[in-house]
Amino acid sequence: MPITLAIDTSAGTSVAVLRGGELLAELNNDYNMKHAEGIGDAISQVIAAAEIKPSQIKTVVVGRGPAPFTGLRIGIAAAIMFSEGVGARLFGVVSLDAVAREALINREIASQVSEEKPLLVTADARRSEVYWALYSGISKSGAPICVEGPAVIKPVALEELLAGRGLQPIRSEAPVRAAQLAKVLDAQLVDGQATDDVTALYLRAPDAVPSPGKKVSG
Amino acid sequence: MKPWSIRNAVESDLDAIMQLENACFAADAWSRENMHFEVQAHHTVYLVAHLDEQLVGFAGLSKVPGNDQADIQTIAVSETQRGKGLGRDLMNHLLTDARRQLAYEVFLEVRADNEPAQKLYESLGFEHIDTRKRYYQPDDVDAWVMRLQFKQSSFGREPVVLGIESSCDETGVGIVRGSTLLANVISSSMDEHARFGGVVPEIAARAHLEALKPTLNQALATANLSLQDIDAIAVTNGPGLGGALMVGVGAAKALAVALEKPIYAVNHLVGHVGVDILERGKLETPTIALLVSGGHTSLLLVRDLLDDVELLGETIDDAAGEAFDKIARVLGLPYPGGPEIDRAAIGGDPKAIRFPRGLTLPKDMEKHRYNFSFSGLKTAVARWVEVAEAKGETYNKADVAASFREAVADVLVSKAINACLAYGVPRLLLGGGVVANARLRELATERCAENGIELRIPALSLCTDNGAMIAALGAQLIMAGRQPSSLHFGADSTLPVTTVQSL
Repeated sequence: MPITLAIDTSAGTSVAVLRGGELLAELNNDYNMKHAEGIGDAISQVIAAAEIKPSQIKTVVVGRGPAPFTGLRIGIAAAIMFSEGVGARLFGVVSLDAVAREALINREIASQVSEEKPLLVTADARRSEVYWALYSGISKSGAPICVEGPAVIKPVALEELLAGRGLQPIRSEAPVRAAQLAKVLDAQLVDGQATDDVTALYLRAPDAVPSPGKKVSG
Repeated sequence: MKPWSIRNAVESDLDAIMQLENACFAADAWSRENMHFEVQAHHTVYLVAHLDEQLVGFAGLSKVPGNDQADIQTIAVSETQRGKGLGRDLMNHLLTDARRQLAYEVFLEVRADNEPAQKLYESLGFEHIDTRKRYYQPDDVDAWVMRLQFKQSSFGREPVVLGIESSCDETGVGIVRGSTLLANVISSSMDEHARFGGVVPEIAARAHLEALKPTLNQALATANLSLQDIDAIAVTNGPGLGGALMVGVGAAKALAVALEKPIYAVNHLVGHVGVDILERGKLETPTIALLVSGGHTSLLLVRDLLDDVELLGETIDDAAGEAFDKIARVLGLPYPGGPEIDRAAIGGDPKAIRFPRGLTLPKDMEKHRYNFSFSGLKTAVARWVEVAEAKGETYNKADVAASFREAVADVLVSKAINACLAYGVPRLLLGGGVVANARLRELATERCAENGIELRIPALSLCTDNGAMIAALGAQLIMAGRQPSSLHFGADSTLPVTTVQSL
């Protein structure tokens, strides 16, 4: 069975190794800093716990965010280099999809969710904003069906937007689990929806304004 | 900066050595005759450490030519200096020497009740392999026999090291074999910063992420190697822009885990110094190094690339490269300012306007002898131009550019030459992107020649930020038998030059 390494650093650090759909090992650290310090040990420990060799990994999947800048990049950088190192295929998955899947594999929740009563997944975007996406359900193979987002918004504005549409969604803001990321990828591969695009979803432009140059004398 | 200095022992050190020997080992101290013989012998290396002209430590290694084993014969550190890293420093020097002499393994004996020493040796890679019962008499204490085996991959041939650099706006991947350059590929995000007039950290970090894979693959293609040929990974972990450094650190760690190869976290500025090895096969020491870029303006005294790099001074405000960028803007020239100012200065009179030389007045000499300041100069130039424009005067832009450039180059070169003379160091090495500046090179060449100082200016592709210098420093660490870094080092935007490798 093919072995997959999944990495997400959109908030904390989550790394998992799966064989087929079976989870062999997962490491979750919800601390949302020190990603650069922890990423090497995290990958190495998960591989050791799974009792495999790095070279057995044939697929790498990474969470593309959305996430605020610094931590996100470290997971993506690691995934790119790891896949180059072992010659694995590299895929990207929207991190919020993993959270949505975790909610939607619960049959009770899945049975309540529809286009009219979607699942709302949010995550902290800092600066008093949240990332958000709406899901109308889950595909037969197990891929969450995103109908809007991901995007970034003020919480108040999000509530206004939902109220304006008369939506009362089911909500989830659970942490991202790398194992779910891998399972989303598996489902997307079946559905023909998988992407090798691993570009980071920052959803914000860098904070920089072109300098007009300023006078030094009055 | 390390407070002590280390050099090879000579016969005249014997009295002081014996004094420390007796103080440290009382009951089982060596005799003077014995010590004399070992210090003088051809098959040994004895080092002494001094602090304020007092001998505070010594250590000795024995390595017989043709035998691939070496022995740490003794090490002593005066009581006042214990726990400060002197023992480690002495050991590292000896291990480097053992490695240079092609030792394959190094042995030592340590008292079974000396846990601090055991811990030190373990952290250097030694393992407890045997115990000699009641070896130390008359105390009746066992001896642990410890052994360090140098990594096979670094033995018998030169290691192939891949270096990753991402401290500012260049993503660099370089590959070396020992001291030989195999590839040096740089992807710069400079153009994306142009409209902001300077490097924007977030833009730089984003660009690194995008450039990683193509830069890596181009470097491998240039070297005609695959990743399976790489023996070790080296990466810059500071100083530099935090967010930018972290991309390289995360990338390098994952690559090391994937390839199951050791990783070496190295200092960016020391990398700039070590790059000379790729052109000359070795670094001549001691040397003064002047590193000038958009992010750094540092003056270093390098007595030993791996063990003794001292920061003499650095900029207290803007880096020299930043000053060029800002003055370019004042003169209506694009970013980056260095080459634009160089072009604008052609035909200009460098003596037309006497712009200030920061931190060169007698009152600055005590605290800032080797520090730099460019913000006052920048303001002076901007003010001069504004006043001229306010009066509606036309001025000669070439004169302003040439005079400004002269002020920068003059301060940089003067302080570097002063350091060479003050420390009696007959060499000056230049590094950093501002070395591209024609006037800086010219002035350094003139003044070095006047003072009998040998000037080294590596090729520009090795002066600007690059991965090859990082790979080269990593290779030096490996060839010196240094242990790899752990996987949990972080990016340190203010990493001091005294930390050549982060463990």
